[in-house]
Parts: sequence; structure tokens; C-alpha cells
Amino acid sequence: MVSMTTTATATGTPVVGFDQVSKVYGNVRAVDGLTLALHPGETVALLGPNGAGKSTTLDLLLGLRNPDGGTVQVFGTTPRQAIVAGRVGAMLQSGGLMDEVTVAELVKLACDLHPRPYKVSDVLARAGVAQIADRKVNKLSGGQSQRVRFALATAGDSDLIVLDEPTTGMDVSARQAFWATMREQADQGRTVLFATHYLEEADAIADRVLVLHRGRLLADGTAAEIKAKAGARRVSFDLEGPIDEAPLRALPFLTSVDISGQTVRIQSTDADATVHALYGLGVYPRNLEVAGLGLEQAFVAITEAEEAKQS
Amino acid sequence: MNSLIKLELTRALRNRRFLFFSVIYPSVIFLLVSNQTGTVDGTGLSVAKYVMVSMASFGALTAVLMGNSERIAKEREGGWVRQLRLTPLPGRGYVLAKTAGAAVVSLPSIVMVFLVAAAVKDVRLDTWQWFALTGAIWAGSLVFAALGVAIGYLASGDAVRPITMIVYFGLSILGGLWMPSSSFPTWLQDIAKWLPTHAYAALGRAIEQSQAPHTQDIAILVAFFLLFAGGAAWLYRKDTLKA
Repeated sequence: MVSMTTTATATGTPVVGFDQVSKVYGNVRAVDGLTLALHPGETVALLGPNGAGKSTTLDLLLGLRNPDGGTVQVFGTTPRQAIVAGRVGAMLQSGGLMDEVTVAELVKLACDLHPRPYKVSDVLARAGVAQIADRKVNKLSGGQSQRVRFALATAGDSDLIVLDEPTTGMDVSARQAFWATMREQADQGRTVLFATHYLEEADAIADRVLVLHRGRLLADGTAAEIKAKAGARRVSFDLEGPIDEAPLRALPFLTSVDISGQTVRIQSTDADATVHALYGLGVYPRNLEVAGLGLEQAFVAITEAEEAKQS
Repeated sequence: MNSLIKLELTRALRNRRFLFFSVIYPSVIFLLVSNQTGTVDGTGLSVAKYVMVSMASFGALTAVLMGNSERIAKEREGGWVRQLRLTPLPGRGYVLAKTAGAAVVSLPSIVMVFLVAAAVKDVRLDTWQWFALTGAIWAGSLVFAALGVAIGYLASGDAVRPITMIVYFGLSILGGLWMPSSSFPTWLQDIAKWLPTHAYAALGRAIEQSQAPHTQDIAILVAFFLLFAGGAAWLYRKDTLKA
């Protein structure tokens, strides 16, 4: 793992501290020696393919599971103590809701349980569920349920908000509205940690991205840094006739090569030098394109590189 | 935790089907089976008095067992129990709220049977007996509330309803809540007298006979309470570790 920067200055107790944390299910290491620290005010995206250990990491952070090795601290105490003190608001993918009660009743319960609650009407309005406040919880759409979960997670003045794939089941406009609400939370100085597999969300919202793969931290930095790490540019071109692969694979600054038919797609940390060397091979590339890498490709590149290293 | 209890109650009172089965249904059965005159062998109690205690016990059993086991299993699987663990509510708060909620519904089901018995079947007891009966049957229902919680944590999915039903009908019938266990063959009576429901109804009958409850019945109830509550606590902790 290459640690690039931490966007916030690391003063005092971290909001979340993982020290060599492991969690094993049978013979699967869901989380494998994970060490990380979150600092006050950061908005952090936890990114990773399915099975990367994102949900387990959040479970450990919230004290829903105990680590097999290492320590998890939240605000310098155990996760449970932090929750009892009302410092953590969390919204889980698997968080069920109580059936046969209304949205308002459920939100009122969450407010009653929080040591520093907000007014029920404010919580309802902020989460955008005021107009469905009298609806029974079991009669909601997927997106509406997510909003209710968000309301439960923000029922009081918590310092850390944890969200596990919060926009699952929402359409595009609902998703945008959701992130606008979430930004307000971050703007009030809260630390926000969210797991997602929508890379554009991480790119647009997080000021720090953690890439998790097979329970280990592969990358930790801003979205821009992650992209740079994966190889800054994509170069693609077509070649005529039989392609001699070996010299292409030997081009400088390559991070990956993909040849399909007559089309060659490569990723390079220095596209100018790579293209220059390409012409030096004496080939005539047609339809040459050089483009920046999106976070999505960067993410795929990083995890694939790791897979290749392990096999 | 009070707010969770309040919400559990609101929900229980809103569920008409559940209210019907736990509050009205025992009284209806009471009216159907208390028609005979005379006394029940070996007790000296009139049929109406005998059946009144049986049905009050049965109603309380229904209220505390039926509602909770299925709900707990469902909410465990649906993730509501998990969601509650993200709040400052203490871990046992959920189970206590469920039990308290059931206890509040079981009280009217007991009182309803008494009212119907007194009004329609002219059952008369001393004032202290009415209060002692209510208290004993209500307190005794805690044994079965603990059993409901244990089943809720033990069974899941499609299994929870059949298991609850088998336990519920098994305990009701074999424990002699539906017909006097003295009408059973001897071998079955030997089994029945060790059941918690048998001891439960015997508690009420002793009060009707103006006797002190039998030590054996109390011992059986306490033993079952410890067994069920211990089992529920153990299963709850196991479930918590699974997250």
C-alpha cells in the first residue's frame, strides 16, 4: 500500500483508528491487517469491489462485530462507548426498520434514544421524509426506506456519520438530493465515512478515498491521487496487419496493455513518452487517442494490478 | 427504553388480529366450554371457576408467546435488531421492551376473562382472590414471555411459526388449559404435571381454593423461568456475536 496524503492534519485523537485489524470467517480473511485513521471533518469514501471487506470494516467500526486481531477505536474509546455517547450516527445497508409504525414514530424513537437529539420535525425535513411522515414504514419504496434510514442516522448531533452504500435503490435525482443533504452534514464539520460502489460518488463527494481489496488497503488519497497512481492516461490506437506484441509491452511507463483485434489500449503514467517511443518502433498507429483516466478505470487498474501481483 | 416500549405498545394495540386472539378469543372459548354445571373432579371447583383460570392463563400465554417469538425472529432477520444496536439503547433493552409490551397486552386478556366469568357465569370470589389471581397469572406469564424470546432467537424464517404453534398448542393442551388433565390417561398425566403450563394453572386454582400455592408448582415455574430466560440470554448473546 502506498499512502499518499491525509487531507486533514492529524492532530489529537483520530475519529476512527484501526490498528492491524483482522477479521476471519472460516478460512476467508475478510479484513486483513487493516490500519487506518480518520480525522475530524474528513469526508471519506470506502471503495472496493464486492467482497472487498467494506461491510465487515464498517461492522467492526460500529462494534457490531469484534475483530479477531488488532484494535478498533472510535473517538479514543470502544465503538460501543462512542455509540452510547451519541457520537456516531450510522446507516447500514442491512439495517431493517420496525414494521407497522409510521415514519414519524420511528424517527421520534431515534430522537428519544439519542443523548443530543434534534427536533423530530427538523430531522424529517432534512432527510426529505416530511411528506411521508404518516406513512407506514413497511409501505415505502426502496429509496424512501433509505431516506428513513438516513433520518435515523442523523436524529441527533453526532460527530461521525457512517453510511453503507446509502444510495442503493435510489434513482438519479434522488441520489443527487441525497448527496446534497449529506454535504450539509459534512459542512457542519462532521466526519463522514461512506462505502460505495458508485465511483462517481466517491469522485464527486469524498475528499479522501480508501480503496479496499481482499480486506487490505490498496490506496489512500484524494480521488486525483488515486487516478494518478493507477496511471494517469489512457492511450488507444489501431494497428494494421499482424501485431507484434513484445515491443508494445516493452514501451516505457506502461501500467497495462490490452490488445483486442487490431485495437491496442494501454495505460501509461507518462503518455507523451509512451507515444514518442511508440513511433520509435516504426509502426503507424491510426485513430490515436490519449485521454485521462476516470476514477473507475483507476480503481479497476489498481485492483487488477494487485490481483496480478498475488497470482 | 421507555420510548421503545411505548412504540411496541402502540404497534400491538394497532394490530387488530393480535388483539382479537389474545384479548377476546380466550373469553369466547371460556363461554363455549364453561356450560357444564357441577364441579371438576378432585378440585371442588365449579366448572366455570376451573375453566376461568384455565382460560385466563391461556390468554396470557397467547399474548406473551405468540406476539414475540415471530416478531423477534422477523426483526432479527430483517436487520431491525442490528439497527437498534447502532443506538445508545442497551442490548437487553430490545428484549425487555418486547417483554414489557407483551405483559401490557396480557393483562387485559386476563381481566377480560374474569369480567366475562363474573358477569355471564356468575363466578364469585373474595376481593383478595381476584387480585391474587390477576397478580399470579400475570407474573407467571413472564415464564412464557421468556420462552417466546428464546424461540425468537432460536428459530428463524419459515420455521418460527410452526415451532411456536407446536409449543403453544402442546403446552396449552398437555398442561390442561383446554380440558382438565385429570381426564388424561395416567401415563400422560404423569408427563403433564411437570409442564410449566400445568403448574401455572395450578397456581390460580390454589388461590380459588383459598389455599397457598403448592411448593412443587412454584418450583416448576421458577425452574422453567430460569431455563427459558437463561436460554434466551445465551441465544441472544450468540446472535449478537454473529452481528
